[in-house]
Amino acid sequence: MTETMHSPGWSRRGVIAGAGGLLLPAGLATPALAQQNTDRIILGMTQEPVQFNPLLYVNSGTENVPEACMFDALWDIDDTGTFIPNLAAAVPSGENGGISSGGLIWKIALKPGVKWSDGHAFTAHDVEFTYQTIMNPGVAVRSRGGFDLIKTFKVVDDLNIEIELSRAFVPFLWAWQNMHIVPKHLLAGEANINTAPFNTRPVGTGPFMLRSRTAGSHTIYERNPNYHRGPSKVRQFIHKVVPDQLVLYGQARTGEVDYMALAGVPNDRWDEAGKIADRDMLILNSPNVQFIYFNCGKPMFADPKVRRALYIACEMQKSIDDVYFGTYQRTLSYLSPAHWAYNAALVDETPNPELASRLLDEAGWTMGPDNVRMKNGEKLHFTMSTTAGNPSRQATEALFQQNWKRIGVEMEIRNMPASVVWGEYTTRSQFDTLLVAWDPTVGLDPDYTARAHSKQIPVQTGVGSNYTQYANPEVDRLLELGVTQTATADRKATYAKVQEILLQEVPFAPQGATRQAHLKKKPLQGVKPNSYVTDITWNVQDWGWA
Amino acid sequence: MLRFIATRLLQSIPLVIGVSLIGFALMHLAPGGPLAVYTLNPSINAQDIERIRIIFGLDQPIHIQYVKWATGMLRGDWGNTFFGGRPVLDVILERVPATMLLMGSALAVAIVLGLAIGILGAVKRHSIFDYLATSGALFALSFPTFWFGLMAIYVFAVRLRWLPSGGMFELGEEDNIIDLLRHLVLPTAVLGLVITASWSRYARSAFLEVLQQDYMRTARAKGLRFHQRLLRHAFPNAVKPLIALLGVELPFLFSGALVAETIFGWPGMGRLFVDALSMKEYPILMGMIVFTALFVIVGNLLADVAIAAIDPRVRLA
Repeated sequence: MTETMHSPGWSRRGVIAGAGGLLLPAGLATPALAQQNTDRIILGMTQEPVQFNPLLYVNSGTENVPEACMFDALWDIDDTGTFIPNLAAAVPSGENGGISSGGLIWKIALKPGVKWSDGHAFTAHDVEFTYQTIMNPGVAVRSRGGFDLIKTFKVVDDLNIEIELSRAFVPFLWAWQNMHIVPKHLLAGEANINTAPFNTRPVGTGPFMLRSRTAGSHTIYERNPNYHRGPSKVRQFIHKVVPDQLVLYGQARTGEVDYMALAGVPNDRWDEAGKIADRDMLILNSPNVQFIYFNCGKPMFADPKVRRALYIACEMQKSIDDVYFGTYQRTLSYLSPAHWAYNAALVDETPNPELASRLLDEAGWTMGPDNVRMKNGEKLHFTMSTTAGNPSRQATEALFQQNWKRIGVEMEIRNMPASVVWGEYTTRSQFDTLLVAWDPTVGLDPDYTARAHSKQIPVQTGVGSNYTQYANPEVDRLLELGVTQTATADRKATYAKVQEILLQEVPFAPQGATRQAHLKKKPLQGVKPNSYVTDITWNVQDWGWA
Repeated sequence: MLRFIATRLLQSIPLVIGVSLIGFALMHLAPGGPLAVYTLNPSINAQDIERIRIIFGLDQPIHIQYVKWATGMLRGDWGNTFFGGRPVLDVILERVPATMLLMGSALAVAIVLGLAIGILGAVKRHSIFDYLATSGALFALSFPTFWFGLMAIYVFAVRLRWLPSGGMFELGEEDNIIDLLRHLVLPTAVLGLVITASWSRYARSAFLEVLQQDYMRTARAKGLRFHQRLLRHAFPNAVKPLIALLGVELPFLFSGALVAETIFGWPGMGRLFVDALSMKEYPILMGMIVFTALFVIVGNLLADVAIAAIDPRVRLA
């Protein structure tokens, strides 16, 4: 395994890593080059935001930064998993009368006195316009999840809204948390919101205002002095782009950036980064889980025994330790172990090649003459695909390939560019197996209807994202039940059962929950890793210098 | 002269159409597409992807998509990016200055040094200098640009602390020319090194050939001094193929700095192209194809005009 990981050929990435290994400890560990400017914060990332309209962005993580700097949602979720009001005066609940007993009527009161950064008053009409834009078929909104259940949207007055849903949907809170409000007075007159100048010169209610963007380099935000939650602690927030992860890591060490975020400290440098004086290394438990996806629509994967056998033959923990340097957290579910709904009673059966072989025998796949299992004259041979050029994933695939070879299964690695593998190859379920990492589908709610309900198989029904084509009536029933339950304990029990069934039938085999290490200067205060959002700047208004 | 330029520009119209047609077809026939990036968004589903496909116009037959794009171009509308919805021409043009600056300075260094080394190598053929120049050029061409980049950062930014490690300027110093020049030194030196190496080889070959011509011997027999022979007789003849080469290479310079741009965080067109390619941003890719084709045409035209200016035997007609 080690050989596989360390011998990807004379690749550019590999040589950079090697050269970086030579230069970083020696040179970049020296004291910060830059004089600390306490009036601004420089956040470094490897990718650049190109879309500032919060309804239209594509690249979450990166484009969450302008969203958090310049816009607000009705409510946020904090690092404890608690919804907290933002533009809303309170988070609606059954207790405060915001949600009716059947869960169909939602009453939302807005905070008075909020203004857009151009001075216009924020009102319920802006929220209504945001909803209308989300549902406008001509606007390339990134998702309508939850909003498509709105039956009527009524503006009671400038500060009050009443929404009626077509059916109870508890994750509706997540839908609004994840969608920031845009100004009606600036966008309502636009013939085409997809190409509106607003998308690059936005006006929001958020803690910062856009000052300038230098393409390919950085974006500068200035403090919004009239921010409704109080002015931010620093005058300027700069989002800097450093395309190479190792170079960015070097700049975090020299002090050229104050906070290194996405894509984080390289996995093989966590130990080193954790020991740097005057720097804090923050570990973010990401909601992102990496899986093997089995295409249940293919005859060889139709039998759950085969999928389970393949899953438990894999050295999952070893793959995390050897390939990801132990930085991933082993999970047995589509949720991270840090999630409140994670089923902690699940038992890890991997690796167990003996049981895997027995299960394959029971499923009728017997060993053939060339040590490859066969059934009805067909070999147990399939492909695995992921984004080409990702050395860690390639090494993971190679390990699983070896694991499966030992039990008489032939897997061929067939990786492709991202624009190919995640196109119709995935969405039209053309793959055999995939190695893929995904978040939950409705914010961080445990609802997994889109990925696991039998009516959400796009290749059959044209809707959903159940690309594995998995179908189980009991899972369907539980998923339908889960989104109507308001009591957390009830939901936890329902989703625990869903996770238990999924681990038995394995339409997708969980490997690990991804984690990131960020590096910041010690005096930078207010940064709070939040495993309930993909947005590291979720509380940017609180960031400041000690 | 003007008639020649006008004729050449008219002749280039079918060329641009052909290039755009082939580029458009290849891009769309290749597997994958821009919608794949949406698949990785966990909250997006099949209906959302289908809706966005229609908004982007990707549901229409390829020939219709091409006609729409081409008629837009005829009106001066380069289209809008899929991701961000910005005018493509703006997106390209905002990257041009950075690339022009980097590539222009690297090229200027390379031409001056490359010609000097090449001429000297040709004049002093098989000398120690010639061997050193040849070995040096092979060394520079054999090692990858990113290695030179990392070593330059290590030595001059990290160890000696003479120069910044990357970017185009210090944040907040956008109008400071001195700061810009300091940031320009390392990427220019790294890129210039590689281009110098190849240009020194071209120049050496060109001058070697010219120096062996009969008219050079005649010039020497006439008693002309060395620098007179070199400047008046050898240079104009040897430099002609180099000018033609420059005309052809000019467009590649706009996309050839990718590695240097990545290592040094230089916000130029190379990175824009690769980012667009990875996301299958068809409008940007098409815009850059046309932009590059136009540069090929203009580059060749300028080369022809320059050659005619140098060589009176060449008549533009």
